[in-house]
Amino acid sequence: MNYTNLGKDTPILDGLEKVTGRARFVPDLKVEGMLYGKVLRSPYPHARLLKIDTSKAERVSGVKGIITGNNVSQHRFGTMVPDWVILPRDKVRFHGDEIAAVAANSEEAAAEAASLIKVEYEELPAVYDPELAMAEDAPQLYEDKENNIAVTFNVHTGNVDDALAKADLVFEETYETNQVYQAHMEPMGALVVPGDYERLIMWLSTQVPSMSRLRYAEALEMCSEDLRIIKPHVGGGFGAKFEYKSHILAAVLTRKTGLPVRMVNCREEDFRAGNPRVPMKIWVKLGLKKDGTLLAKDTKIIAGNGARTVYAPAITSTACYRIDSLYKFQNVRSTGYTVYTNTIPTSCFRGFGNAQMHFAMESALDTICHQNNLDPIEIRKLNGVTPGFTSIHGWEINSCALKECLEKATQESDWYEKKKEADQKGPVKKGIGVAICNHVSGNRPFYKPFDGSSSLVRLTPEGKAIVFTGEADIGQGMNTTFALIAAEAVGLNVKDVRTAAVDTDISPFGLGSFATRGTTIGGRAVYEAAINLKKQLIEHVARVYEKQAEEIKINNGKIYFAGNEEPLPVAEAMQQISYTLGGTSLVGHGVFVPNTVLPDENKYGNVSPAYPFACHIAEVEVDTETGKIRLLNYWAVHDVGRVLNKQTLEGQIEGGVMMGAGWVLGEDMVLKDGALVNPNFHDYCLPTAMDIPRGKIYSYFMESDDPNGPFGAKGIGEPSLNPVPAAIANAVFDAVGVRITDLPITPEKILAGLDI
Amino acid sequence: MTNSSKKRGLLTISFKLNQEDYTMEINSDERLLDLIRNRLGLIGTKESCGGGECGACTIIMNGLAVNSCIIPAARADGAEIITIEGLSKGMEDELHPLQKSFLEKGAVQCGYCTPGMLLSAKAFLDQNSGREVSREDIKEAISGNICRCTGYQKIVEAIYSYALERKGNN
Repeated sequence: MNYTNLGKDTPILDGLEKVTGRARFVPDLKVEGMLYGKVLRSPYPHARLLKIDTSKAERVSGVKGIITGNNVSQHRFGTMVPDWVILPRDKVRFHGDEIAAVAANSEEAAAEAASLIKVEYEELPAVYDPELAMAEDAPQLYEDKENNIAVTFNVHTGNVDDALAKADLVFEETYETNQVYQAHMEPMGALVVPGDYERLIMWLSTQVPSMSRLRYAEALEMCSEDLRIIKPHVGGGFGAKFEYKSHILAAVLTRKTGLPVRMVNCREEDFRAGNPRVPMKIWVKLGLKKDGTLLAKDTKIIAGNGARTVYAPAITSTACYRIDSLYKFQNVRSTGYTVYTNTIPTSCFRGFGNAQMHFAMESALDTICHQNNLDPIEIRKLNGVTPGFTSIHGWEINSCALKECLEKATQESDWYEKKKEADQKGPVKKGIGVAICNHVSGNRPFYKPFDGSSSLVRLTPEGKAIVFTGEADIGQGMNTTFALIAAEAVGLNVKDVRTAAVDTDISPFGLGSFATRGTTIGGRAVYEAAINLKKQLIEHVARVYEKQAEEIKINNGKIYFAGNEEPLPVAEAMQQISYTLGGTSLVGHGVFVPNTVLPDENKYGNVSPAYPFACHIAEVEVDTETGKIRLLNYWAVHDVGRVLNKQTLEGQIEGGVMMGAGWVLGEDMVLKDGALVNPNFHDYCLPTAMDIPRGKIYSYFMESDDPNGPFGAKGIGEPSLNPVPAAIANAVFDAVGVRITDLPITPEKILAGLDI
Repeated sequence: MTNSSKKRGLLTISFKLNQEDYTMEINSDERLLDLIRNRLGLIGTKESCGGGECGACTIIMNGLAVNSCIIPAARADGAEIITIEGLSKGMEDELHPLQKSFLEKGAVQCGYCTPGMLLSAKAFLDQNSGREVSREDIKEAISGNICRCTGYQKIVEAIYSYALERKGNN
């Protein structure tokens, strides 16, 4: 298939404003009379609120409004579990929990007032470790949550005990994945402006504009239609920028003062009360035949929810069962507990639990291969799902180039040659490791009412197309992808297409950027809208120019007729068409509702219209004297269905690989008595340019042409990270024989491992 | 400090920013970042960590890339400053070749670190105008600028390809 716009390196369409510094993010937005919001946060991990005295704070010059649990509604609401209140009246549950919020006419006045709010606390016993929190005598965070368990997930399909009893090999291990921070460069923030008709206009740094609107309406006890959400440029999200407490506080302050309020986290707040990755303890038991055929998987997971529920239960369930559809399992059992602790509420972070489980599963397979002299590439080919396969949970694998990914990665990395290399001299050892992954492109159970998307594509009298979608570009280039899809489907040049910023007054509803769903589900809706537009355009061209519709073709911004007639620019035709229609634009409307189902009681049911796959191979160097690990080369081969934009795909992979490498090689949120001891970039070490592979991150794409994705395309965002921790851990083991089962892999752990 | 007078905790400073002369009254505890963003309205200089650890607020001051979030505005007295708005002026000017290279090579994703990254790269290349630079040199030069989206590879390539092109033109 020859495409005009697809498969190339297309620079992002909003790059110009970004390289010139003109792109505006929430912290750059200002309106006349705007107040600055500041949150007072708890200095205790668990404490009863006895008294809150705001009298001194109110006297600070410039203060316009203060809210506390005593003057806001106490109704409960929430994302998955109704355990949120706007501000608590009874107690605080984590170090960083919101107690009060101030709006003042300067940041200084707001900060000063917040510091003058006098709170009397009664400290309560606290618990930080999810496993300890499940104990009978552990401090309780919520009266109605026994053993601090927010949600329990169970699945058992087949007969795991039988299969394990019959297995030639049984392997059992415990893995731990730590809490890490998304570290989006733009901190979370909102600007709320009072609108006409008593509405609120909320400018949010968010990846879920439409869902935020629903949730905030619930919190503010307003009709969601009375909230207008606008999403300007967003400086990264990576899962952090879902529904957020401070956005609601800014809205309450706006209602109270009648004035615009901007509330932006400082970096320390963003660390202390962002929604970091769900930490997990994962027990895995696997049963295999001698040849490596996987017979059974038994899993138990204890996951940290933090002090209130954001999306951790869905993340835990994902960790429990998504990987079951990467391999051809016949018997699986998983139990996952999402447990409250007096720590930062946890939530989505690229990979959504699947990343945590991939570290466990892909590390386990590596150890099994090593102990039983099996080939780590072949065992994955043997067990990996194939096109047309229906997994144990009813997931319909349409397109799947997993085997091709394994083959390409093996070949490009020179895997077998490198594995053959004899004992290395000197203190620095090289190693190579492999891991594969699956993921979804849309996740039916995430938002219970539906999955799907809709879009409008408007063709203006000037011949320019504007894509309207509620799906969110958060810096990953979604808007460029949508424009490419629309351009290709209509037959325009992408230069004449742009995607409008999400504004819920104008854009259709869009669930947002998560579950690697943007390209496949949002993009498919854009495709349908563009096809609908093209049909209208052809009909109107036929009418105005007195031609047969069947003989009209549109390509690269030109309209072609039968014979040798000179092609007509779309812009020229559109002008004529609009003259005959009162100056109108043509608007294509498209809907995509994936053929997915809510899983039944035993979690059976196809949840995603498409499943992306990948194989990663990491090559590292480990210094046995210092324990230091260095990335040498990295090969990432992804089944993306179809390459829409090579450059942004590579960008996602390189970013995902380094984000994964940062996690596995050192990032760690360190808590002491419930307080984060490293809430800054000096003590919380993110990868810098010095940490990228000494050689290169090589990206390759397999085009499996998915029947549901637009032009066959599947997602990339999360699969780019899923296999990284295990690929690196396996490479480290290959280099020095040290198996680290708890993240991060620090030099100290390597040195301790070498001593044994 | 040249040409400064002290009255009621305020200082008067003069500096050149993006080739224009400014004389401003500042508070003695004012951060240079706040002066640039809040008082001059130049929002291209971003705040991300507020502690000099991420480089989002990088500007070029007297030829050096510095974090404007940890520099008192008073230090700008007599200084020559370039912010991202000075790299290519207005909407009609041609882009600086580094900006073009970032765009073409896919070195930009969310764009929040981009202004700081560009200015660190520019300062580094200006300081090494007569000399060949390696990818390793570039990695070191931008190691104070955190990018969470790109994994740095395309940023390094964008800077490196401009460095080669520039060398070719010399």
